[in-house]
Amino acid sequence: METVRYESADGFARHVDELRKSRLASQRRVLVCCGTGCLAGGAEQVAVEMDKQLSTLPAAKRAELNLVMKKTGCHGFCEKGPLVVLMPEGTFYKGVKPKDVADIVHRTIANGEVLEHLLYVEPKTGERVVRYGDIDFYAKQMRVAMRNIGHIDPASIDDYLLRGGYASMVKALTTMSPEDVLVEIEKAKLRGRGGGGFDAGRKWRSAKKAVGDRRFVICNGDEGDPGAFMDRSIMEGDPHGVIEGMIIGAYAVGSHEGFIYVRQEYPLAVEHLRKAIADARGRGLLGKNILGTGFDFDIEISRGGGAFVCGESSALMRSVEGKVGEPRAKYVHATEKGLFDQPTVLNNVETWVNVPRIIEKGADWFTSLGTDRSKGTKAFALTGKVKNTGLVEVEMGTTLREIIWGPGGGMLDDGPKGKFKAVQTGGPSGGCVPEALLDLPCDFDSLTEVGSMMGSGGMIVMDHSTCMVDVARYFLSFLTDESCGKCVPCREGLLQMYRIVSRICEGHGRMEDLDQIESLSQTIVVGSLCALGKSGPNPVLSTLKYFRDEYLAHIQDKKCPAGVCKALITYKVNHDACDGCGACLRSCVSQAISGTIRKGETFQIDEVKCDRCGACATVCKRGAIAAA
Amino acid sequence: MAFHMTINGRRVDANAGETVLATARRHGIPIPTLCYHEAVEPFGSCRLCMVEVTKAAWKGWKGLMTACLYPSAPDLIIETDSPRVRQVRKTVLDLLLARCPDADVIRKLAAEYGVEQTSFVPRENPDKCILCGLCVRVCETAATAAISTVQRGHHREVGTPWGGPPPDCIGCLACAHVCPTGHIQYSEAGGGRKIWGREFKLVRCKETGKTLPITEEQAAFLVKRQGMDPSYFATSEEAQRKRTATTLGKIARWDKLGLVQEEVKS
Amino acid sequence: MNDVDLAPTNEILSKYPADARHLVSVLQDIQLAYRYLPRQALEKVAETLGVPLAKVFGVATFYKAFTLTPRGKRVLRVCTGTACHIRGAPLLLTELQKRLNIKPGETTEDLEFSLEVVNCVGACALAPVVVVNDTAHGNLTVSRVRRLLTTKEKASSSNQEEEN
Repeated sequence: METVRYESADGFARHVDELRKSRLASQRRVLVCCGTGCLAGGAEQVAVEMDKQLSTLPAAKRAELNLVMKKTGCHGFCEKGPLVVLMPEGTFYKGVKPKDVADIVHRTIANGEVLEHLLYVEPKTGERVVRYGDIDFYAKQMRVAMRNIGHIDPASIDDYLLRGGYASMVKALTTMSPEDVLVEIEKAKLRGRGGGGFDAGRKWRSAKKAVGDRRFVICNGDEGDPGAFMDRSIMEGDPHGVIEGMIIGAYAVGSHEGFIYVRQEYPLAVEHLRKAIADARGRGLLGKNILGTGFDFDIEISRGGGAFVCGESSALMRSVEGKVGEPRAKYVHATEKGLFDQPTVLNNVETWVNVPRIIEKGADWFTSLGTDRSKGTKAFALTGKVKNTGLVEVEMGTTLREIIWGPGGGMLDDGPKGKFKAVQTGGPSGGCVPEALLDLPCDFDSLTEVGSMMGSGGMIVMDHSTCMVDVARYFLSFLTDESCGKCVPCREGLLQMYRIVSRICEGHGRMEDLDQIESLSQTIVVGSLCALGKSGPNPVLSTLKYFRDEYLAHIQDKKCPAGVCKALITYKVNHDACDGCGACLRSCVSQAISGTIRKGETFQIDEVKCDRCGACATVCKRGAIAAA
Repeated sequence: MAFHMTINGRRVDANAGETVLATARRHGIPIPTLCYHEAVEPFGSCRLCMVEVTKAAWKGWKGLMTACLYPSAPDLIIETDSPRVRQVRKTVLDLLLARCPDADVIRKLAAEYGVEQTSFVPRENPDKCILCGLCVRVCETAATAAISTVQRGHHREVGTPWGGPPPDCIGCLACAHVCPTGHIQYSEAGGGRKIWGREFKLVRCKETGKTLPITEEQAAFLVKRQGMDPSYFATSEEAQRKRTATTLGKIARWDKLGLVQEEVKS
Repeated sequence: MNDVDLAPTNEILSKYPADARHLVSVLQDIQLAYRYLPRQALEKVAETLGVPLAKVFGVATFYKAFTLTPRGKRVLRVCTGTACHIRGAPLLLTELQKRLNIKPGETTEDLEFSLEVVNCVGACALAPVVVVNDTAHGNLTVSRVRRLLTTKEKASSSNQEEEN
């Protein structure tokens, strides 16, 4: 494959022009999603089979169809995967198995016949939808940060170029001064997408003014919030988007060295970013004297070691320095003394990937989206008890209700337990929002006002089978595990709080515990060194605020209304619903189920032997076993 | 460059580069600390030195900051003992008391804030380490970084590589001396010293045969780091003093002895 | 103590400049090569990168990616992210613990399996998820998760049949 290298803006433009006229641009595309989610569903085998089947088409047919198969990044609709999309028609197939591929190739691709059984069914109407753009999940989104994911092969820089990639970088480096770029970002009022929401322009300006021999730009790809995977998808599916954003930012603040910090748990993202960096270097878009402008900039990847606390910017920087990820006081800002004690701009993946768009379309376009104080769009990872789990990007200010019942498709389970109970936003730093507040807009400020926060975008929908006290316990368990242990309020305080809430879940709670939780929380919130500790009490405090009766049920009645807390529930067989199939008995590893089938009686669960694993309830096809 | 701030309603002068803690202490205003020591960089882990900080420009918003790290600046208004500050200190000490119920310094401090008994669940098999990190930081700064914090979160502890005798330890005892609770123990007997499970030999004076209070490894370390003459540690202070006295004595009578250079030298 | 072959360590060290900032990357490569961090390897690292051994040890024990004892051939990581949690991850974990007779963080005596919990692998739409080495298996139930413990050949193809 011949290597092209751009020595100037003209050289770049010429090559992109050539690409637009090339076969690549005109080819019809068979997009097989190979993001982590679809891979888990067997997408690799689908792709292999697709390749095989396509090559069995007669040469004349292949020439006529003018196809290319592309393995793309995550479309963000993982639950329906593996996904195959045929462009330009937009035919969208879900749950594709290798055995379906032959039909896709010979019936749909070669013959235009739509395969009904592979179509997505709109949950509200029960109708099958053929086109990608007609599916509510996608139609109700506005994808800016995620604009390219699912449409391109992340390993192909040409794919990225054909979508207008690197044009913003060229515009910035060759027609704008660093100050021009900085002013544009300031005008756009771009706020950080990682959770902090700090004004990016202000951060960049502060770093630009700071004194130092070296200056760094860092992309925070740590995405540690459980339930959030927007950044993973962007890094996997549109790595060049991140790179382009960083080049523009580096140019604006005068940095020549960039780092992308990727968490340990995202090996595919590392792989795709490495390829993209290598390709960009090869084309002369990274490295020395980019496009002959005299601007040098290169990027190195730094991998995390498995520590949530390294999502905190000062801890992240220590990790890049090869040290333990311990945060430090931020009285002196990272923009003055950050990585290696030099001026540093650290921004989230989603923040960086917005930058080329702002340069391309202008700050006015960006500020026309969103609300007064939260401009642009936001990507959310919508998961939990909704019909359509996946990545949803909408304008800032869209309400929780609009997201959950719009692209989300509404609650997953029918029946009383499937009713909406709460939505958890902002990960371990956030809180739970009850039904009464579903019309709150999703932006930087509204959710914070009610005791939660938008955070990095994790949005977990819960129904009545979720115990809110257990949710609080879960987050405290997570935080005590991830605390770096440096400061007393977080290390000792969150541990003690975890103990208290665990005791409540185990049926040993006391009313005084609630007072202790509240007073301890105050110290942890103001006394902790970093945001992990400071926001640690949020999940408990918000669940206590909106679901106090659930806590009271656990403490006073020793009951878990949702049927989750093991010490407070028992599994029972409903003899009327049971058909005696014995699946439960076979599934029980504690030998707690026994019985013979006679009139009026079926199986019994021995309360003492039962360890509440719940296997029996899951395998029972009649729903005859439930926890109470 | 000096400027002014207000601490507890008192107008005080401060210098650029000073922390609030240094400024306060210079003016005799007490702020409790546990993880602070002049010999090492401030750490900010115990949170005991938190003070309430505000400025006129902040329109009533007050922040709680650790005085050991927060830079003194013009027109800062500091309160070292407000109710909010006392509440934080009280809870921190309560938590530390749960962690180290037998540490006298914690018991004493906690009592000053009204905590006689911890209101939390005490640690099982507690030791006296409050994880202030002073030992690690002192070892890093003044010695060989032989010990470090190991693991993280509530499993965090001060330890040695693989829990065994630390290969880089020089037995200087800086860690034991700086430890606020006496958690770090060492022993000396028969010309030897033992700390962190490692045994050292103390240097013996070539002249008197008595042991010097430093180990052979420490002597070697200082020779290397400070570029000192190895013979400096070969004799004890006592022997050196004797020699100096003899020499001075000889100098005092030199005119009587008629000898000059050679005598003085020896 | 058994002697550890340091050839992989030396090869890894030769790929990086001898600068303390590469410590975490070096340790990651060593963890991959040996399936744990052998003491002798870390002593070499300390010497080469000019980082005190105690600091290397501190870093090795701070990050979850590293283990000081060998991990099994198949590492089962149960995702305990929020979405997985509310879709039954704790039940999967209990099941695997029972079947393997080890706790999270431990390895079976025959060094076949290690069990770990991991915080959110980002496959939330397929909750609950267990990652076996680098492959994610989603939509698991207590009965389906048992299949992850069968022989290697069966385990890799079972995730297609699982969803039926």
